[in-house]
Amino acid sequence: MGSRQITEKSLSMLRSLPRISLQNIRDNPNSKLKNKRGRGQHGGDKHGAGNKGSGQRQNFMRLGYETGNNPFYLRIPQEHYYRGHHLRREYPPLTLHNLQKIIDKDCVDTSKPIDIASLIRSGFYNFSPDLKQFGINLTDEGADIFAAKINIEVQWASEQVIAAIEKNGGVITTAYYDPHSLLLLKNPKKFFESGQAIPRRMIPPSDLIEYYTSAKSRGYLADPEEISKERVKLAQKYGYTLPNIEKDSDYTMLSERKDPRQIFYGLEPGWVVNLKDECILKPKDQELLSYYNS
Amino acid sequence: MTSALISAIKRLHISVVPQIRVFSSNAVSVPSADQQNTLTVTKKDWAFKPQYTKPREVWIENIDTIEEQKLGLFELHPSVYAASPRIDIIHQNVVWQKKIRFVSWAHTKTRAEVRGGGRKPWPQKGLGRARHGSIRSPLFRGGGVAHGPRSGKTHFFMLPFHIRLNGLTTTLSAKLAQDDLHIVKDLILPTDNPDYLHDLIEKRNWGPSVLLVDDTDYAPRNITVAVDSIPHVNIMPVYGLNVFSMLKHDTLVLTQAAAEKIEEQLLKWLNADTRTQQQAYKLNQV
Amino acid sequence: MAWLGSTVLNLFFKPAVNIVRTRYHAEKTRVIRRYGYEEKIWSGGLLPRGGARRLPMPEYRPAFAWTERKALFGQNDYIDILGPGDLHPVKTLYTVPSWIRGVSGNEYQILLRKRKMWANTGSRETRPTKWKDMEKRISFLYRKLNRKTKTGPSPD
Repeated sequence: MGSRQITEKSLSMLRSLPRISLQNIRDNPNSKLKNKRGRGQHGGDKHGAGNKGSGQRQNFMRLGYETGNNPFYLRIPQEHYYRGHHLRREYPPLTLHNLQKIIDKDCVDTSKPIDIASLIRSGFYNFSPDLKQFGINLTDEGADIFAAKINIEVQWASEQVIAAIEKNGGVITTAYYDPHSLLLLKNPKKFFESGQAIPRRMIPPSDLIEYYTSAKSRGYLADPEEISKERVKLAQKYGYTLPNIEKDSDYTMLSERKDPRQIFYGLEPGWVVNLKDECILKPKDQELLSYYNS
Repeated sequence: MTSALISAIKRLHISVVPQIRVFSSNAVSVPSADQQNTLTVTKKDWAFKPQYTKPREVWIENIDTIEEQKLGLFELHPSVYAASPRIDIIHQNVVWQKKIRFVSWAHTKTRAEVRGGGRKPWPQKGLGRARHGSIRSPLFRGGGVAHGPRSGKTHFFMLPFHIRLNGLTTTLSAKLAQDDLHIVKDLILPTDNPDYLHDLIEKRNWGPSVLLVDDTDYAPRNITVAVDSIPHVNIMPVYGLNVFSMLKHDTLVLTQAAAEKIEEQLLKWLNADTRTQQQAYKLNQV
Repeated sequence: MAWLGSTVLNLFFKPAVNIVRTRYHAEKTRVIRRYGYEEKIWSGGLLPRGGARRLPMPEYRPAFAWTERKALFGQNDYIDILGPGDLHPVKTLYTVPSWIRGVSGNEYQILLRKRKMWANTGSRETRPTKWKDMEKRISFLYRKLNRKTKTGPSPD
């Protein structure tokens, strides 16, 4: 708002001017565009209705009607690739290039494991679980310039993406979250304010079990030994030397994983987060403990 | 060359804050030795320091005597109390405040709603009269109205968040610049007699209408009783403050706590990530 | 003889009659036709109407600008900025009916919302004609907006 001199000058001018009140304020001149019907010799010609036809006669044909022709939407027999689109799972993409930008802008903390909650908190990724969106699909655009060492958990990743992250000494996991868990991850504050206990994460549906138990896709249910074998294989396939994570200074961070039943890092199912008193309430009842540990 | 540079720098009003300034933490009152013992100078250490402008200094006044006593000096943040006085933003805010709650209840009946008019008034042909199908057509006296006002027409819209935020800072700045903003220590009156308040306002040369703002929901008894019987003197909590009321009342009187609270809230929003607040208003989102 | 003389005198004597006008043309008043009938149309010329039939002037009653409603107009409109942050100003518009609070739209959109919100309030049973009129209006506006107007912002 204005430079300092202008502000000071206008404030000092105001001292000698009448008191600003409801009666003497106004908007800037010409700040409102008046959309008026044109008049006069040529201003009042057609008034946007066009020349003849349905525009003037106010007879608007229904959408897709082609005045008797076999309309386009009936001419093309069927489009199978959209069948069941309302039931399919969607993974809104996040490119490696964008991820690098988020990291460069320091909007996400790379000294901690990155999950969908921290990416949403950065403000550069968003999704809606109620539209059957099931989390992040990390795509390979910008894989060549990706240069961050991170421990990231996404919901879907291709082979190139896995290679790009592991080449830099990072770790990637693909993990499934049910829509309710995703809702909590999207807005944890709202959930904590409701005062409910953190639920368990559901196991993936049958058609996804294969993806998330496979070491090739770095699934969170896969055998860790298989994964380390696959890491070496992938390094050989793409021709890079795999950095040794065990000797890394950030080994504890890089080896951190969520429990398959866990939703938030550091919080276990069954706990209640009290934001007002800033404390965590944990269940003690044996029945509850056995339920949340199962 | 050097002198020109120095004069240029001087013209920029860059003031070096003296390092030995007497303040410790947040808003500490330091009784200055050379003045009377009652006078306090309050220096503040804001979370968001003013970058290029100096803080505004105002007197803290009292209202427990009719005669004005200056109890101390008080610093106000320039981003809140010395913002650019944009009249157009004030105007937009006032218009918004009027429109947000306005509903036009003007109503006319259409030809379908006016009673009767179902049968054809006279035959189509043979009478030499104009053809008509209903005595409630808009052409008839007592007929329905075409394109008339229909009740429940709202003028609701949400002004963008930062224009509302700027509306508050602009109005506060304009009030302060025109000497219509006064800071008082508290709202404790010695008596609940409204004449006392009348005399005080008269004596201090405050405008006839005064808006008092405190940061608590419950004001002291004396002031509420006195204010109750004077229609043009009103009292409000901090969260009730708005552009329209500030302009409707000639003088704005803030308690010291209220001024600090307003400053804190507005500074918080001026420096916060307001992406969620800036999103377009959707019905039922709140 | 005396009577003869007077008779002759009377016969020939014509006294000079001096006719005195008592009603001059200039003094003639206009003949009042249709006496007692009050003319409804102004026939006093083009000049502004004079004092004869003055319309009643309403009594000047200045509005009091400091009633409680006016004095505290707009309170809490910035509660989302100055308050604790969990309340939106729309929530404080208590004077506006709930079915229209924070709503902006054309008549059709507002009627649809009103119908939805009033459907379970018993208004359909207690005011059947009003309800029927509303339904009629909604179907009329549906046809008008979808079939008779161009897509885009509606004219009203």
